[in-house]
Amino acid sequence: MNSILKKAQEYFPLSWKGWIVFFLGMAGGSLICTLLQAVSTSDVHVPMIFVLMVLIISMLTDGYFYGILAAVASVFAVNWAFTYPYMKLDFSAYGYPLTFITMLAVGIASSALASRLKEHQKLRLEAEREKTRANLLRSVSHDLRTPLTAISGSVSAVLEDNGAMTEQEKRELLENAREDAQWLYSMVENLLSITRINGAGEIVKKEEMLEEVLSEAVVNFKKRNPDIAIEISVPEDIVFIQMDATLIEQVLLNMMDNSVAHGGKTNQIVISAEEDGDAVAVTVADNGNGIPPRILNHLFDGSLQFEGARGKDSNRFIGIGLAVCKTIVEAHGGTLSARNRPEGGAEFRFTLKKGEETHEYTGQNFDR
Amino acid sequence: MNIRDKILIVEDERSISGFIKTVLVGNGYDVILAHSGAEAFSMVSSHCPDLVVLDLGLPDIDGMDIIEAIREWTQLPIIVVSARTLEKDKVEALDKGADDYITKPFSAAELLARVRVAIRHTRASGIMTGSQKYVSGDLTVDYDKHMVTIKGENCHLTQNEFKIVALLSRCAGKVLTYDFIMKELWGPQSRGSNQILRVNMANIRRKIEKNPADPKYIFTEVGVGYRMVEAE
Repeated sequence: MNSILKKAQEYFPLSWKGWIVFFLGMAGGSLICTLLQAVSTSDVHVPMIFVLMVLIISMLTDGYFYGILAAVASVFAVNWAFTYPYMKLDFSAYGYPLTFITMLAVGIASSALASRLKEHQKLRLEAEREKTRANLLRSVSHDLRTPLTAISGSVSAVLEDNGAMTEQEKRELLENAREDAQWLYSMVENLLSITRINGAGEIVKKEEMLEEVLSEAVVNFKKRNPDIAIEISVPEDIVFIQMDATLIEQVLLNMMDNSVAHGGKTNQIVISAEEDGDAVAVTVADNGNGIPPRILNHLFDGSLQFEGARGKDSNRFIGIGLAVCKTIVEAHGGTLSARNRPEGGAEFRFTLKKGEETHEYTGQNFDR
Repeated sequence: MNIRDKILIVEDERSISGFIKTVLVGNGYDVILAHSGAEAFSMVSSHCPDLVVLDLGLPDIDGMDIIEAIREWTQLPIIVVSARTLEKDKVEALDKGADDYITKPFSAAELLARVRVAIRHTRASGIMTGSQKYVSGDLTVDYDKHMVTIKGENCHLTQNEFKIVALLSRCAGKVLTYDFIMKELWGPQSRGSNQILRVNMANIRRKIEKNPADPKYIFTEVGVGYRMVEAE
């Protein structure tokens, strides 16, 4: 019994939107016919217009219900209002049952077609999503395998050494292993970040102070990269922004990691935040080699991660790291861009909407 | 030979507990290991360790329950090990009575610093409040004169701002949650938004730090609270 009900709900789902579309469609059809009646005495066009309306209503609503309802309603409307005798139901006219059946058939058929079309679209979207997921998994697996091979190789080389290696060589191997492990960690953090954003791109936002988030990201980055000089500047006013701080820190970390991994000679990074109307723009600029023009336009579309997967390991992070940045910034309603600075080096920039509360810093004291 | 501090490591992943043990033993601590919550309980009561390093993700008992149970009868310091993304867990653990936390992945130096601070604070809980001054770099907090100076110059903190800095400096090296600070400052009934505290803190940063976004003295643990650098 329940399953029948469920089936019925699947084929005949009711909704406010459905009812609104239905009434608007019917009203529209009637209006057009009324207008046409004023200029023409013939009523041949009337059924055509209502068939069109049935088609439109079926296309715009879910399931079969509204399409069929529209077909039945059209039959009555045509009979009652727009064919002789006007304002009277008369099914005795010659051939009328045929008209009735035709309209009903058109209604059902177009509803079915529309539903099929919509289902098709959904399937295609799902297939695409599945493909993206498979691609991501493939490239991630590849990306994880390379450093893991290096780590286990280096560590076993040190362990199985029988006195042939110098202290210096051992140290180098272990340092490489640590570097690779840290890279793996940031990769996993990125993947976890994506899972924090659910399918609909929704995140849990809290009011955070921008300068605190920036400085925490920099502290975390410095732990791993003590040799890079980092300068930060923030507006004098205290800026609160609605955000998921963990995710925004991830964006900053990815950008800084990027500067170091792909900038070549990067040894200085400048992070600055500026108020820009009702938004705040954060830029991460480095003094490295800049972004090769060849990939500048593809930085955020995720296509680079596959290039990396084809064996250019120096590129392996750029794709996923920046694609994650883009996902995060867009989930916050912001924008993301990249360019090469005229004075050399790359610059990444993203914007975030400011919270309602900003506290102007006047230098004065205010206590509670 | 002096008595060495005994540290209990509660961690189910043997590779991680092994790493922590190696670091601590190498730096002069006695280490005992527990691989489950049940084991941890019995070892806390039988071995009376000086400090517990507790991983929150144990297979048998929720880490929060372990903290609560230990806090029922002893104030021995607890350092919680947690993943970066779980700031809610960190705050809950601290509010339940953990002394500090350390975020994975951590370095040997970080771990040692946390352990040192936690042990010192329990040892010296009486003495710390008696000390006259906190000095770190150019910053001096003078508890008697109610004054914070940078290179000898008065920073002109307000009453509230001074109270916050004084509290943080007395617990230097340890993270203090927003809730803890607010209760210490404004009494146990202070509830609700921590906005006022955070704005106060932003003002303090503008007075004592050269660059408020690149602090040298007071660090923010976003979503959790603040930590002041250890005194010199």
